[in-house]
Amino acid sequence: MTLHKRNRREFLGTTAAATLAGSLIPSVDANAESRSAARAPRTPRKRIAIITTLWAYLRHGQHIGDRFLVGYPWEGDWHDPQVEVVSAFVDQKPTAADRKSREEEYGFPQGDQSVERAREFGFSLYKTIPETLRCGGSKLAVDGVVLIGEHGDYPSNDLGQKLYPRARFFSQIVDVFRSDGRAVPVFNDKHLSYSFEKAQAMVRASRELDFPMLAGSSLPVGFRMPEMEVPYGARIKEALAIAGSRSLDSAGLHALEALQCLVERRRGGESGIRRVQTLTGAKVWKALRDKSWSTDLMARALSRADLVEGITLKDARTQDLAAPGVLESIVPEPQAVLFEYRDGLKATLLMLGGAIGDFTAAVRLDRRNQVLSTKFHLPPNPNVVYSACLAHHIESMIVNNQAPYPVERTLLVSGLLEAAHMSRAQGGRRLKTPRLDVRYKAPHASLYCHT
Amino acid sequence: MWISLELHSVDYQQHATFLKRARGGSSQPHQRAIPHPVGYGVGQLPFAPPTRTPDLTVKRPRIAAVVTEYRRYSHAQHILDRYLFGYSWNGRHHVPDIELVSLYTDQQPDGELSRDRSKMFPRMKIYPTIAEALCRGGEKLDVDGVLLIGEHGNYPTNEKGQRLYPRFEFFQQIVDVFRTSNRSVPVFNDKHLSWNWDWARQMVATARELDFPLLAGSSLPVTRRIPQIDMPLGAGVTEALCVAVGGVDGYDIHALEAMQSMVERRRGGETGVEWFEAARGVDAVVKALAAGSFDQGGWDPRLFRACLCRSHRLVPTREGFNHTLPTNKQIEALMRDPENRNTPVLYRYQHSDGLKMSMLLIEGVVHDFTFAAQLADQPRPLSLQMFLPPREVCNFFNPLTHATEDLFHQGQAPYPIERTLLTTGLTAAGVESLFQKGRRLKTPHLDIHYRPTTRSTYWSN
Repeated sequence: MTLHKRNRREFLGTTAAATLAGSLIPSVDANAESRSAARAPRTPRKRIAIITTLWAYLRHGQHIGDRFLVGYPWEGDWHDPQVEVVSAFVDQKPTAADRKSREEEYGFPQGDQSVERAREFGFSLYKTIPETLRCGGSKLAVDGVVLIGEHGDYPSNDLGQKLYPRARFFSQIVDVFRSDGRAVPVFNDKHLSYSFEKAQAMVRASRELDFPMLAGSSLPVGFRMPEMEVPYGARIKEALAIAGSRSLDSAGLHALEALQCLVERRRGGESGIRRVQTLTGAKVWKALRDKSWSTDLMARALSRADLVEGITLKDARTQDLAAPGVLESIVPEPQAVLFEYRDGLKATLLMLGGAIGDFTAAVRLDRRNQVLSTKFHLPPNPNVVYSACLAHHIESMIVNNQAPYPVERTLLVSGLLEAAHMSRAQGGRRLKTPRLDVRYKAPHASLYCHT
Repeated sequence: MWISLELHSVDYQQHATFLKRARGGSSQPHQRAIPHPVGYGVGQLPFAPPTRTPDLTVKRPRIAAVVTEYRRYSHAQHILDRYLFGYSWNGRHHVPDIELVSLYTDQQPDGELSRDRSKMFPRMKIYPTIAEALCRGGEKLDVDGVLLIGEHGNYPTNEKGQRLYPRFEFFQQIVDVFRTSNRSVPVFNDKHLSWNWDWARQMVATARELDFPLLAGSSLPVTRRIPQIDMPLGAGVTEALCVAVGGVDGYDIHALEAMQSMVERRRGGETGVEWFEAARGVDAVVKALAAGSFDQGGWDPRLFRACLCRSHRLVPTREGFNHTLPTNKQIEALMRDPENRNTPVLYRYQHSDGLKMSMLLIEGVVHDFTFAAQLADQPRPLSLQMFLPPREVCNFFNPLTHATEDLFHQGQAPYPIERTLLTTGLTAAGVESLFQKGRRLKTPHLDIHYRPTTRSTYWSN
């Protein structure tokens, strides 16, 4: 790709020194103006530690972590973060195989970036999580912790879940809080843990030590096309999400949480989930024929896709993906997660890699049978602006010492995702999930990115 | 209990109120209760063309398409395929309740699709001339509307670099049929009316003379926006900027029309353009970047910053960083990259009511279309991205196709042709000014006055 080849070269004015020199450019350089202003004395910024598995190009550790170093777009301006990265712990460096394949993809060397970031932005790297949180001293020395345990070389279990060490890292963070007698807000990227039990323990610890905790995917707070929100307190008859992917563990989490942030607004609030079943392959098509989910909702959700595959790839024609027989012919490995909430709401996640490349959802309201549908729009590489939306809410929690939306959303979805994997591993058996008795109230405010 | 407003305190509140106002105008554009197709050609699964349960009580409009070429990714393909296969609209797969019955293709390059499509949809017949397509082989006009899609194809360019697409020539043949048949029907013209200003004016004059609705223009004014806002109707606008991609005589029209669709909603409506100047090359853009204001030869830097911040496809300036706000120095370095296919281009012009406008095509710095405007009573610019969904299906043609459906169903253009007449004149002025080495041109011929639609017409459903 041209865009990435370009990165290989040295640019005039693109070194760190030139960036600083940029601040001397007259005020017509709107960017330089901001950066010089950012360096002026002002109220001390909150100090944060980043605990991550990997800090490498376009991995979550980098594209979320960097937001707190270089700023990010917000509401039509470049936002200068009100938090300051003072320390970081990075568990792994990219493997040789990973570096090689990504170098081919992006056109420039791919390695660990944490050392150069620390040098340029003046924070310290430590070998352990406690040292990171204490900045090398003897007491907790940060005002917030950003835990990004996504990407890296970790084993998977028999269920097909990648065993990211989020709970383990979190436990070490909490140990510091306990022994130092002070706790600060913690953000955990994506689901809390592959294990619902561990996830529950994480949330329990945050309650016990009384620190704000935020977690989850960027999709609930990213862009929607069209802009759409479920009216607060609406009665919902059925809900459905589609992920244009085959990865239940990774993409499935995003889609489930996107759906959850819509349905949690329903009348009565969140009640938990009582049954989960994951179908694969031909069983999905049988369930489709048996109308195990509303084909109309599925059609509505499919219609929101902008990345359409199948015959569209042949000659760019438009097509009705919901027409009979189409999905069966283009989705090689379908999966369907059917789940039922404790208040009776039925919901479905369809994994339809091969049909679309987007995340979409549709919900049917009781009121006049109205259907609301949208695409959870993911701006493309390399800017991946959705992580700016997430960074905004992480920053908001640390600055205000309060989570903008409930961690119970991610707790429930973490458990749902694990149960979906268990059902899949048991050949699609319907599992009762009394443990997923997670109740909470959604915030009234609509927190997706629409300003 | 839930926070988020605190962080941005007063600024955010003001902005939120302002956005609410901006959203006020963004009602659902032109929704009609069009019956959804209910049946499919089951025998030809899985890629059967959609069929309908015929409603014999309603006469569906029948239309002709007059196009330069029907091949993969040509505008004709994007629009006509939507008539044939349907497209996503208002959260459904929508098949137009309009029948595409005849087609004229001026050129048939290798791999073109018209013959294949005609086989799949035998109701769409291909004719060797425009007149025959409009008369469906008979003596008189026998369609209820015409799509004129004169974009793409192998046509010569003139000494000014304009691709001589035969839109005017096709239009003339269309209106000749109208005249001889003593009947006129609505016409849609894709993109700007013509490369030649006099011809464009003549096209609009002919439409008025023969009293048929004429719709034209780019898909940018009607595509999705991030965020989903419109210019508040009657807002006092002092200056606007569009930062976009592409080159002269192809993409400038998209940027100009995107801007025009926003600023035409300002207080007093459209008043025309007084002067225009264009510049090409990195040096010219660097100079303008450093100018610091419109009056000094540049633009308000706050507008430029807002555009960059609304972009979702900013080219990284530092290896290993995926998203930073580039400094002017870095922008210069990106623009000087020899891999850029298009030299940067800058248009600056002023409307008769004093509104200052700039358009910047800086491929290699951004890969999308963003817009910012300074409003008289606002501390921060109004800014947004005009979103172009990616290939393969290029869904920004959905709202454009739907606007043509509105034209044919309602016998009325959903937004004024004067918008595209003005942007056609601006596009031609850009080429002319560049041809005259960037001379500032007086544009008394662009004394075009019109009122915008009250409703927002961009894609928000």
